[in-house]
Amino acid sequence: MSEGARRAGEELAALHASGRLAERYPEVRGLLAALDEETGEWPPAALRRAGTVLARLGHEAVLAEHPDTPCVTVGITGSFTLQTLVAPLTAQLARHGLLLRPHLTGHGQFALQLSDPSSELYRAAPEVTLCVLDADVVFGRVPPPWTAADVAAAAGEVAALVEELAGVQGTGRLVLNTVPLPRERAAQLVDHRSRTELAIAWRAFNTRLLELGLRDPHVTVIDLEPLLGSVPRLNDPRTAAYAGTAMSDELLASYAREVGHLVRAMRGQTAKCLVLDLDGTLWDGILAEDGPAGITMAGGYRGAAYQSFQRVVKQLAAQGPLLAVCSKNDDSAVREALRDHPDLLLRPDDFVSVSASWNPKPEGVAAIARQIGIGVESLVFVDDNHAERGLVRMALPEVTVVAVDAAEPALHVERLLADGWFTTFEVTGDDRARTARYRAEAARDGFRSQVSSAGDYLAGLGVRVAVTRPGPADIARVAQLTQRTNQFNLTTERLDPAAVARRAADPDGLVLAVRSADRFGEDGLVGALFARWEGAALVVDNMVLSCRVLGRGIESAVLHELVAHARDGGARAVRGRFRPSPRNGKVRDLYPDHGFAPVTPRDDGEAAYEHDLTDHPHPAPHVTMDWRLEGQTDDRDGIPGPRTAGGRAVLQS
Amino acid sequence: MTETEFLDLVRLEVGLSFSPDDLVRDFDELPGWDSVYLLKLISALEGESGRRLPVAEVMEARRLATIHELVGAS
Repeated sequence: MSEGARRAGEELAALHASGRLAERYPEVRGLLAALDEETGEWPPAALRRAGTVLARLGHEAVLAEHPDTPCVTVGITGSFTLQTLVAPLTAQLARHGLLLRPHLTGHGQFALQLSDPSSELYRAAPEVTLCVLDADVVFGRVPPPWTAADVAAAAGEVAALVEELAGVQGTGRLVLNTVPLPRERAAQLVDHRSRTELAIAWRAFNTRLLELGLRDPHVTVIDLEPLLGSVPRLNDPRTAAYAGTAMSDELLASYAREVGHLVRAMRGQTAKCLVLDLDGTLWDGILAEDGPAGITMAGGYRGAAYQSFQRVVKQLAAQGPLLAVCSKNDDSAVREALRDHPDLLLRPDDFVSVSASWNPKPEGVAAIARQIGIGVESLVFVDDNHAERGLVRMALPEVTVVAVDAAEPALHVERLLADGWFTTFEVTGDDRARTARYRAEAARDGFRSQVSSAGDYLAGLGVRVAVTRPGPADIARVAQLTQRTNQFNLTTERLDPAAVARRAADPDGLVLAVRSADRFGEDGLVGALFARWEGAALVVDNMVLSCRVLGRGIESAVLHELVAHARDGGARAVRGRFRPSPRNGKVRDLYPDHGFAPVTPRDDGEAAYEHDLTDHPHPAPHVTMDWRLEGQTDDRDGIPGPRTAGGRAVLQS
Repeated sequence: MTETEFLDLVRLEVGLSFSPDDLVRDFDELPGWDSVYLLKLISALEGESGRRLPVAEVMEARRLATIHELVGAS
């Protein structure tokens, strides 16, 4: 264990011993980050111990000291004793700054608890319910002697039961898992033919469970098979027999880590940009000392390891995460190497920002966030240098720091992927095109520097906006906008795809998808508005707009049309509200700036506004609006998808 | 494993500090104790000693001293 991890462990233990853990809880996240990122152990024992201590401390003690700490109610149920899941889950959520409020059901009660709307689980109103299943859920139904066909039949019954339970809603996102087949089950069959039949039946069972995750937007299935490869054992037969723990601590720790990232994604905390150091991280050697010919990333043992790492980085970047470089080097040497090195798999176009200088790394990392226009908490910084990591962690504690070891580049991939920092529910077309869009933004910046006024800039951009009801293909992206948008998010109400679909299907609801484009390119689906009719008032619950299109008058154009739409629809007022979050200060005055008058302010900081429709807001200049809400009062069989208006094909995404 | 080493391991693994007198107290009388810690102690003790413990007997133990004896006091 490294010095940093040891110190963090000691500090955590000292806080605990002095009885001040709850009081100093805000420091815990940083300590856990240091513990987890610097340790060589896998899975880290220090994190396991921290989980035990934090679980005993409990969420109530922390909330008593720090009432604003975000807290997640998690239902924990399944086919075996899951008490041992609470500690690792506590630690994993704490790594993301989240407190766990666990609601553990009696073991084996999952069917009862999930199917009965008056159960304790329902009353706990969890945000997420983990239903962890082990092989006994099937084998418990087949008394010996059994055959592969018996198991197939029992597995079919269990799958049908789980499908039924998944259909019932009210316990938040349901997290299921694929069920590992223990060797001691398969080995009870003596012939290879039967074992093959069993293996096929078992995979069919798991496939049915996995399909639920595709079919039902409120279900996520965590595949345990890849996790099993990195833990020493599925279970300990002794504690399984005596205490009913069907999964080992190591497997549950690994599972808890996945759940942590799932909850993180639900909370809109998915990371957006991977910031890479170069020497020792992306390639072997030191550019400033060895020169471009001296750095290697192909050929030989180490070269091949670096090449694998670059492939993984490229793979991640193709799905949405942006790439940036933060390197202590001469800028010109770095740009030349990125452009010309024959073996490099990543080129300048793959990076949205390259920060190469001899300045301290925290400055470079912060500059990258500024340039891209995202918060530093959306960055994942990878570096092989212990001191640099420490500096970044100290100066920018919100940045996720990943340690790699230049002495063993073959472990770079494992270290980078150990945590699902970029985990999201569904990669959208928007994600895949993100790098190109940030590059278009750079072209826009160039244009901005050529024109003399903001008005000229906007006029020159030629912004076009299309507003439609979201089509079925838009639901995932609209949900993602509510989850990921922090700055222009009026109430920070996060919705998953299921919730978006429900709102869109509500006859009294009005959900709008906003697309934009300009002369530099398409922006795709960049905004959403959630409203509903309440008598003669149109009430806006939330509006979100991607930070990359702010400052182009899009929000004004949308509000202008919305007010007109409400009036045409017979409304007497449009109401809206603003709920402050740590990040959405810049839209505090959106409503008053658009002719809405404040209604009584509330104690919790939330502000309500109303537009009486007597004075129509000015149309946004320089924005061409295409407002198409056909099918507004139709039955919901066919939510009209976005269609191409004449000459507006550019607005499709 | 000496008494001190054993108590150190308990403190490290479950974050509870006990005195030698606590070794003979029933788990019900140990503040903060939870039966789930037995499982944590088993894996920690086995990792430390490199030997397998008789798990059923550990699970039946009512006090830390019993577990210490099972590890092999020295």
